[in-house]
Amino acid sequence: MKAGLFERLVGVVGSDHATMRAGDLANYQYDGSADRATPRAVVMPASTAEVAAVVRACVECDCPFVARGAGTGLSGGAVPEGGAVVISMARMCNILEIDPDNRLAVVEPGVVNAHITNAVKHLGLQFVPDPSSQAVCTIGGNIAENSGGLHCLAYGVTSHHVLGCEIVTPQGDIAWLGGKTADAPGYDLLGVFIGSEGTLGIATKVVVKLTPVRQATRTLLAVYDDLAAASLTVSEIVAAGIIPAALEMMDRLSVQAIEEFVHAGFPTDAAAVLIIEVEGLPESALEAAVAVRDLCARCGAREVREARDTAERERIWLGRKSAFGAMGRLSKSYYVADGVIPRTKLPEVLAAVERIGAEYDLRIANVFHAGDGNLHPLIAFDDRKEGDYDKTVAAAADILRHCVKAGGSISGEHGIGIEKRDCMTLQYGDADLRLMANLKAAFNPAALCNPAKIFPTKRTCGESGRLQAAVPQAADARLVSEPAF
Amino acid sequence: MPRGELRTLNLPIADELAGRSGIRPRVRPDECAKYAIADEVPKLVFSPRTASEAAKTISLLAHEGASIVIRGAGTKQSRPPAPVGVDAVLDTARCMGVMEYEPADLTVTVAAGTPLADLQAALRLRRQFLPVDPPFAAEATIGGLLSARSAGALRQHYGSPRDQVLGMRVCLSDGSVAFTGAKVVKSVAGYDIAKLFVGAYGTLGFIAEVTLKVAPLPAEQLTVLATIARVEDACACASSIASSALFPMATALLDAGSGSLVRTLVPSGAPAWMLAVRCGGSPAGVRAIADGVTRLFRTAGAQAIEMLDVDRHASAWSDIAELAGGSAHPSQRWLVCKIACLPTEVASICTAAGALPAAAHVVAHPTAGVVFVHIDARDEHPRRAALELERSCSGPHRTVEYLAAPLELCRELRQPLPSGAPLLLARRVKAALDPSGTFDPGRLAGGI
Repeated sequence: MKAGLFERLVGVVGSDHATMRAGDLANYQYDGSADRATPRAVVMPASTAEVAAVVRACVECDCPFVARGAGTGLSGGAVPEGGAVVISMARMCNILEIDPDNRLAVVEPGVVNAHITNAVKHLGLQFVPDPSSQAVCTIGGNIAENSGGLHCLAYGVTSHHVLGCEIVTPQGDIAWLGGKTADAPGYDLLGVFIGSEGTLGIATKVVVKLTPVRQATRTLLAVYDDLAAASLTVSEIVAAGIIPAALEMMDRLSVQAIEEFVHAGFPTDAAAVLIIEVEGLPESALEAAVAVRDLCARCGAREVREARDTAERERIWLGRKSAFGAMGRLSKSYYVADGVIPRTKLPEVLAAVERIGAEYDLRIANVFHAGDGNLHPLIAFDDRKEGDYDKTVAAAADILRHCVKAGGSISGEHGIGIEKRDCMTLQYGDADLRLMANLKAAFNPAALCNPAKIFPTKRTCGESGRLQAAVPQAADARLVSEPAF
Repeated sequence: MPRGELRTLNLPIADELAGRSGIRPRVRPDECAKYAIADEVPKLVFSPRTASEAAKTISLLAHEGASIVIRGAGTKQSRPPAPVGVDAVLDTARCMGVMEYEPADLTVTVAAGTPLADLQAALRLRRQFLPVDPPFAAEATIGGLLSARSAGALRQHYGSPRDQVLGMRVCLSDGSVAFTGAKVVKSVAGYDIAKLFVGAYGTLGFIAEVTLKVAPLPAEQLTVLATIARVEDACACASSIASSALFPMATALLDAGSGSLVRTLVPSGAPAWMLAVRCGGSPAGVRAIADGVTRLFRTAGAQAIEMLDVDRHASAWSDIAELAGGSAHPSQRWLVCKIACLPTEVASICTAAGALPAAAHVVAHPTAGVVFVHIDARDEHPRRAALELERSCSGPHRTVEYLAAPLELCRELRQPLPSGAPLLLARRVKAALDPSGTFDPGRLAGGI
């Protein structure tokens, strides 16, 4: 690293907002994934101009950099591999404008997802994408990972709810992709920026769409003695022309973990539980609830109950949203996999997941967005047990192989980052990856902006290559050639 | 490759193409004349059946330095600027058919040349549809409507066509065939490059196949419409509906002239703005939505509130879509402009259109902030009217795009470049994906 970068960074953001103290840096080694790497420095710019100046300083010193929101990412997207400078968005957390007449808001990237809805609720509006981490995750991170959530079945993912972004390009220039209006002429650069995992630039302002809140919501809980019957129900509901706002599944192990943790009232002896939420005007929500009830019964549900009031509804959702945390009580560590399949393939792929668990002798809980076919197998393991983590990664890779074989994808909403980059070859061929690499080079020619993410290294999928903070293992050797400061 | 540089195409190339890709291109001028783009007759026309056939021909032509214009049904080829030279036309007509369709997955994979009407017919059998209602619905192909990002009023509830795209197989000028995206309803595995091809007008590569998200057809649909004297009131009413919990499928605003062209409607009273709201849902649900819309209409002082039953409703929306895109009028006569603005600015744009120094029609998607202005090109100063419109629409985030024009105007008009457009990034993207500049160079704003 060239001398003087840290001084330049301090010059941009002030000494209170830049650090290279080991104790501080340790807090930025990780996100929600298993990989770790120590940054060279952490800076907290307060404005677009400061972000641009920080990026230009990094570029001039040939130093990699990575933007960071709340650090809740699950694939290593914000892990500063190769000792990158972390650009934290924590101070850019203002809601700049709320325009209810045009049903949009302009926010800074560090704004917490749920804070947008909280700020517009009184206007009868909401920001729809609601990842499980919405109480802490930020909109900048949602854009990086094109986050989904519990309600994408009816409303789509982040890219459907963002009209425009001001970005700082990997060269340190400021540009608007999209804006406040629809259909900006020219290439849909916004469309490709969303979900690019922070490798094509840094969002510094975001124009989000706001959606009216529905009048009536009905939440049903369907209980099954048979996992396959629950899977069948999912396809049958959609085939019947009903698109619930949310359609979630939990298997026995996850229900048991949740019950022990938050007492949501789920029956612990069930093989599977579906949460089905329908909404609309009171008339249509009622009709849909009746139809769903009927379909569940016909597919073999043991019991279908409906939340009688808001408190009961919230208890059901609290249970669902606590699933990952609840797993922490069952096991020392757990690994969240994320794969997507066509929803009609649920029965066969869930059976395969069960077989994989048995084969590797690992406990796997399933709690997932069934309506989207987005699986989240939670694999329990003991990190202190020799080889347990490696076994877990290998099992997760086997699950992804099944997802791709079924016509699906290796990530529905958590992204590729570091964790799954070596699995990209399961889904994409050389020509596909070359196209992505060419696109990346158009935005990020020096490859300093969140380097080494998404693209495969020389490892194979399922081969454990966890980055340890003490010894950064960059895929790109150039990045580790320089010692930290 | 600079625009206007007519590259010579070595015609024996036809034999080589036939040998390599198995498809014989057409080179006879009388055959090629049918594929003329803005009166430019291509030297060669090829009609591949598959992505790999297309890729082989593309790679050979790119190697020869030829430019390629991709043509579906040809309904958007009168978009300015006119190409200055057309070496080869890739005709998508034989690249067609539904390739994969699983109704319970709500996904369908089709070849690019498939007519939208054919796809809708296949989906209707399973009570589903692709929720798009672009103009030229009878002829338009899937590849064409995506390339032109051609959206109708259904965008209010379902989003624009780009929001339905899940994955694509594309042919690039280096001869490669790449898949981008996925065939499932959500995927964050690598860059979502399919989005770039939507609205690229065929300048990045050839969309050979596309996987789309489809939707269930609402059990019932009906339309509520009314006339409102002042455009400001009509827009305020549209906004109150869009901000309510009613969630209609679509809203369209038509000036009196356009409204009178909707066939199934009986003109009533004095000329006024017409607001049409399309409702869909279960039998009880759709009635409740329509009642809610009617109440908001009354509050806005609407006159002649009418509910269209299912038959009149379908034909009315088909007319509205065609009127918006200009396909209801011959393009020899009309200059079709699309203005994107904030929903709250729609009324002032409509008023500005009415004050142009040429006769103009207006159709708008008020809740999306999109206004289509049709300027009569037989008037003395259509170009002056266009520039006047550009001037009156200039403002932050607003954009003006010319969708179609008579030939002479097509040669004169340039696509306005929105202020602050990320032109540098766009040029780099073009250079990265189509380094040989093969695909319709110079056809987009900024000479891309």
